Amino acid sequence: MSWIQAAQAGGKAGDQDDVFDEEADESLLVQREWRSHMQRRVKEGYRDGVDAGKAVALQQGFNQGYKEGAEVIMNYGQLRGTLSALLSWCHLHDNSSTLISKINNLLDAVSQCEEYVLAHLKSVPPQPNVGDLLDSIEDMDLCHVVPAEKMDEAKDERLYENNAEFNKNCGNSPSRADCSYLEGCRTQEPAHSANPILPWILEQTASLVTQLGISVDVLQHLKQL
Amino acid sequence: MADSQDMFDAIVMADERFHGEGYQEGYEEGSSLGIIEGRQYGTLHGAKIGSEIGCYQGFALVWKCLLCSCASEKDSRKMKVLESLIEMIQKFPYDDPTYNKLHEDLDKIRGKFKQFCSLLNVQPDFKISVEGPGLSF
Repeated sequence: MSWIQAAQAGGKAGDQDDVFDEEADESLLVQREWRSHMQRRVKEGYRDGVDAGKAVALQQGFNQGYKEGAEVIMNYGQLRGTLSALLSWCHLHDNSSTLISKINNLLDAVSQCEEYVLAHLKSVPPQPNVGDLLDSIEDMDLCHVVPAEKMDEAKDERLYENNAEFNKNCGNSPSRADCSYLEGCRTQEPAHSANPILPWILEQTASLVTQLGISVDVLQHLKQL
Repeated sequence: MADSQDMFDAIVMADERFHGEGYQEGYEEGSSLGIIEGRQYGTLHGAKIGSEIGCYQGFALVWKCLLCSCASEKDSRKMKVLESLIEMIQKFPYDDPTYNKLHEDLDKIRGKFKQFCSLLNVQPDFKISVEGPGLSF
């Protein structure tokens, strides 16, 4: 805002000085009006910025999510397709209805799996931005504490040798705290792949194939599940 | 006269500057909002495609094994259709939403799949709700 004062000073200088002095109250009013106008401009800018940023990021986010969703759910689709193929084979070869109902049950289970995984995928937050992490770590004021605790745990002698230097450095570089934070995130990340009923479905499918007298090779493509 | 011109410029510039400051802040906020929102839609759409393509692929690969294990002269036509279906699926960039022939290729795969099913004389039920609730944009 300093320039506003400067502008005013500039305006008052010269032969118009007297006129401004006479209407001092009015100039205060103008000042206030000016300030609220600028605040409004900031808000308008903010709104425009949000719209513009969102427009650009939406597509980017969409592409990211799309890729992830497609890759993960593809495997479940394959499992479903596999079971469907077995089901159609049973129908063609007039297999017993117990096997058919078993396959149908497994198909239902796959659907549940898929819903479960999809729900998790949606709730997983996007990859944390390193800059944001650094900010939040700074906000938490952890960078002095965390490396010190890490030091106690560390059995690496080299670290002890460099102790003094390390402590000196960790004040201005929270990289170590940052690392441990990222590791924490990473351990939580594969939550969507840990599906409780999936191993059971795979096991059941394999035993089903054996019961049908088909080579287990038909399940080769499911190895990545 | 020159003074008032400067003043005017200063006002216009200030207007721009304050707008710009707000814009910058808003842009960052909007970007992270956009990523989150976009991801949610993207995940659903990607999952829909992945699920469908995965189904066709699993189905086709199993049937390839089944046909191979009991190959007869009659099956050669089925095998041919099946091979081309598998090839189409493998070429299909299912995880790329920017692929410009996505719908075109998807329709071809669907058609080929139907053709194969009618040759086999089966009507598979994948239990997928292609137009299911929650999957609409």
